[in-house]
Amino acid sequence: MGSGRARVELSGLPQPDPTHLQVFAGDQRETPMAGQVRRDQGTLIFEPRFPLLPETRYTAVYDTLSAPYQLPPRAPMAATHVVQVYPSASTLPLNLLKFYVHFSAPMSRGDSYRHIRLRNPQGAPVELPFLELAEELWSPDLTRLTLLFDPGRIKRGVKPLEGIGGALEVGKRFTLELSDSWRDGHGSPLAAPFRKTFVVGVADRTPIEPWRWKLLAPRQGTREPLTLLFNEPLDHALALRLIQVDGTTGTSALDQEERRWRFTPEQPWQRRRYTVRASPLLEDLAGNNIGKTFDVDLTTHPAPFRNVPTLLRFTPR
Amino acid sequence: MTQALLGALISLVAAGAPHAGMREGTPVFRSMGSLAFGPSGTLFIADTAAAAIVAVDTNDTKPGKAASTLKIAGLEKKIAGLLGAEPAQVQIEDMAVNPTSGNIYLTVTRGRGPEATPALVRIKGTDAVELVSLDKVHFSQVALPAAPAETTGRSNPRLESITDLAFQDGRLLVAGLSNEEFAATLRSIPFPFKDTSNPTSVEIYHGAHGRFETRAPIRTFVPFTIGKEAYVLAAYTCTPLVQFPISAIKPGAKIQGKTIAELGNRNRPLDIISYTKDGRVTLLMANSSRGVMKIVTDNIDKAEPITAPVADKKGLGYETLADWTGIEQLDKLDNKTAVVLRREEGGAVTLETRPLP
Repeated sequence: MGSGRARVELSGLPQPDPTHLQVFAGDQRETPMAGQVRRDQGTLIFEPRFPLLPETRYTAVYDTLSAPYQLPPRAPMAATHVVQVYPSASTLPLNLLKFYVHFSAPMSRGDSYRHIRLRNPQGAPVELPFLELAEELWSPDLTRLTLLFDPGRIKRGVKPLEGIGGALEVGKRFTLELSDSWRDGHGSPLAAPFRKTFVVGVADRTPIEPWRWKLLAPRQGTREPLTLLFNEPLDHALALRLIQVDGTTGTSALDQEERRWRFTPEQPWQRRRYTVRASPLLEDLAGNNIGKTFDVDLTTHPAPFRNVPTLLRFTPR
Repeated sequence: MTQALLGALISLVAAGAPHAGMREGTPVFRSMGSLAFGPSGTLFIADTAAAAIVAVDTNDTKPGKAASTLKIAGLEKKIAGLLGAEPAQVQIEDMAVNPTSGNIYLTVTRGRGPEATPALVRIKGTDAVELVSLDKVHFSQVALPAAPAETTGRSNPRLESITDLAFQDGRLLVAGLSNEEFAATLRSIPFPFKDTSNPTSVEIYHGAHGRFETRAPIRTFVPFTIGKEAYVLAAYTCTPLVQFPISAIKPGAKIQGKTIAELGNRNRPLDIISYTKDGRVTLLMANSSRGVMKIVTDNIDKAEPITAPVADKKGLGYETLADWTGIEQLDKLDNKTAVVLRREEGGAVTLETRPLP
């Protein structure tokens, strides 16, 4: 057998019969691997339908003959580690909706929740704090996992919240713990476990209020960043993606615990009015949107809400 | 030169008149997840990674013989063997029965990292699996809306998972869940696909909890007829069962669903089917921690909406089926038989048939 797009070659048989060659993965001899066998003069060539995997043992079987094979192991790579967990603040609201876990390299999917614990101040794991979805909410490149708190434990008036309580308690210190047994995309464990300890603040049941943001206009003729200072931290992914400057390309960044958004244009600011557009889908840490709380009190607000963007206008100094 | 085909492999040879809008070719998948069958052997396959749904003409339209009893232990081992991997490298994503032929299809993923490969497999006979080839088939596809255009050149991390698919009256219904914004989306896409991009979603508020409403994600759903009106019955992540008419699913609409049952806390619904037994329309719902619930829907048309917070359970009553444990996937093999994927104590997966209760 060769490596790469490996194929199996069998030669030296007097009259090789393609239908007698089978290749098996692992220890089992029940289900042969899918692929095609052809005969090239005296040699049988098996081309697997799926590439051979380095971590799997293969056996080619021809009647009573059998030959084991394993691809050489992958070259060792720098161990994958957790780069950051958002929200980055050390005080988080009681009704926190999600964490984003960022990794230095692609991870594996399929059993992620086993490696995640939320520990209470006594160090005991909180029972089922997160929504465990078979799909696992990864970014396309498997470097970011979205961890949603079970909405049933955040919403007001829902049994899980009233029955077993929310996952968090105001004033207490909790720890999000990510185990180093979690495997990266090559099957290697993480370089180290990761812990984020935070104190729980009061619930945030206030919509996002863009009129309380402060806009710091850049100077004309420069590529100074345009700055928005929020009055509360916003959802990291959404604030990066859903705040844009109309007709202007550039790079946005968040810092100061997701309270400051800065946009650096590709071209210098001109002497004209610009419009900053904030999508109604923006969320704060508790999933409140602009003008609308995460859960809507129907006795005071009629549903549904209008979804219109918020526009902020400025002229460079 | 002799050719032999190793490992069972079935080819869906493009034959006969394809469905409107389909072309012949080899669809490229980045992932395969939720499955649903449509008319005359059309199989809908969700490709979350590519933000698309592909309709494939399986050409599997011969009526099957009466359902046999099936029990295949160690299903993931057989699939792993076929795909040339260890069982731990294989994940079963979804299962669907072709209602015409009775053949059972499964989407699977080989590998767990970024190089993971999707595959479509089918149960062969009573104890084997075969790979379904998608070379040179008739297919069409529809793209789901991508995120707003990037202005920064960064790769876009937003993805929308498709949590369930169903076909009803010429429409493909698609429930989705984003990895960024928290909002349930449900799309209703006419099939054959016409406008093949950006089917708009609706927002559904489920009035489960009295004063407070959210747009929580739909976990699983089933089309359902009450009187003459077609409805969707949707199970949410915190287990209310909510109904709303399919006719209300229009681009940009905001729907207030009617909550007809509250099925208890600490639980996530996994899959739901409906069937008729002794003239009574019945639902079966698999759950993460409350087993399989059987819900007889007599008088569902007169069900009062639940509008106040409930202590635990309310609305339509249900029976928990004691011997249906570990069930993760459900489908109907025929009107009398269910086919299930059951997770054994040690983690192995068994595919088996059971009489519908």
